[in-house]
Amino acid sequence: MKRMIKKQKFLMISIIMLIVMTIIDISMTYRALENTYDQIISMLLIVPPIFILIGLFDVWVPKETIVEHMGENSKTKGMILSFILGAFSAGPTLIAFPIAYMMLRKGAKYSNVLFFLMVWSSLKLPIILFQIAELGFRFAMIIDITLLVLFYISASIIHLFVSKTEIESFVLKAQEL
Amino acid sequence: MTIDTIIIYSLAILLLIVSLIKDKQKTKKALIKAKNTFVKLMPVLLPLFLFIGIILTLITPDFISRTMGEESGLFGYIIGLLLGSVTFMSPFVAYPLGSDLIEQGASVPIVAGFLVTLMSVGLVYFAMESKLFNKKVAIYRNLVSFIGAILVILVVLLVGV
Repeated sequence: MKRMIKKQKFLMISIIMLIVMTIIDISMTYRALENTYDQIISMLLIVPPIFILIGLFDVWVPKETIVEHMGENSKTKGMILSFILGAFSAGPTLIAFPIAYMMLRKGAKYSNVLFFLMVWSSLKLPIILFQIAELGFRFAMIIDITLLVLFYISASIIHLFVSKTEIESFVLKAQEL
Repeated sequence: MTIDTIIIYSLAILLLIVSLIKDKQKTKKALIKAKNTFVKLMPVLLPLFLFIGIILTLITPDFISRTMGEESGLFGYIIGLLLGSVTFMSPFVAYPLGSDLIEQGASVPIVAGFLVTLMSVGLVYFAMESKLFNKKVAIYRNLVSFIGAILVILVVLLVGV
């Protein structure tokens, strides 16, 4: 039981919040559950093709290819490839995590995977076009260029903050899936 | 159906057909892998959605525009960054909200900080990331994005929009 609570921290926090909301105003609880339902539905709508793509990638792209292009010795080329993968994507950031996980499993270097995740979260091309339309070109570019530079630098220096053994331990976990 | 969804479905269907033509056995294996990933990740994802549902109820766009429209100065920046960090929102809602906020008179750098944290900092991402990878890298990525938001604010203050 204790282990379950520790493992499902978010679920526990959510349930406590729901109970508090019910005491204050039960209509809030209904709205929260309705929102949850809507979110789950919209996720279930987008998840099947993503997981099919992950599966196809898994069987068709040999590990050697990923190691060669995005692995330990990939340098700038690996970063560029990560950028392209992140920028020419579509879908919510939550979906990027399983993809990143699979890249790791296939032997991509973590700094590349991290850069991919960062680009996906804020610099997806379809979103940038929308962002320009809403905020104007200058404002959008200030945001995007600042972030791009910061993301590139911070992904390159991740080894200063997280040790190799720590990274290896979750790469191993990824390989079990 | 958003454009996102349409693109991903077309791509998946197209590649699935190509794969089927090339090798039936491999395609079957790919689908089994897809199913396994799904089964493994759902228990991680589903509880997060309950949390998202609650957040969306407590922090609505209406609440955001009321809070951020009124606050300015240092406190306004902090409110913007914090609201952006805890809220979860699709970019198709977030950016129009950002431009509405500016039209209503909210300060541009505050909105900039809010939008950046909204897109890339989040408890929900943190939970997912620390489960799949580990806590340290999850903290690192979220922290970098948070610093990114502060940098964007500074650049906006410096060069103007």
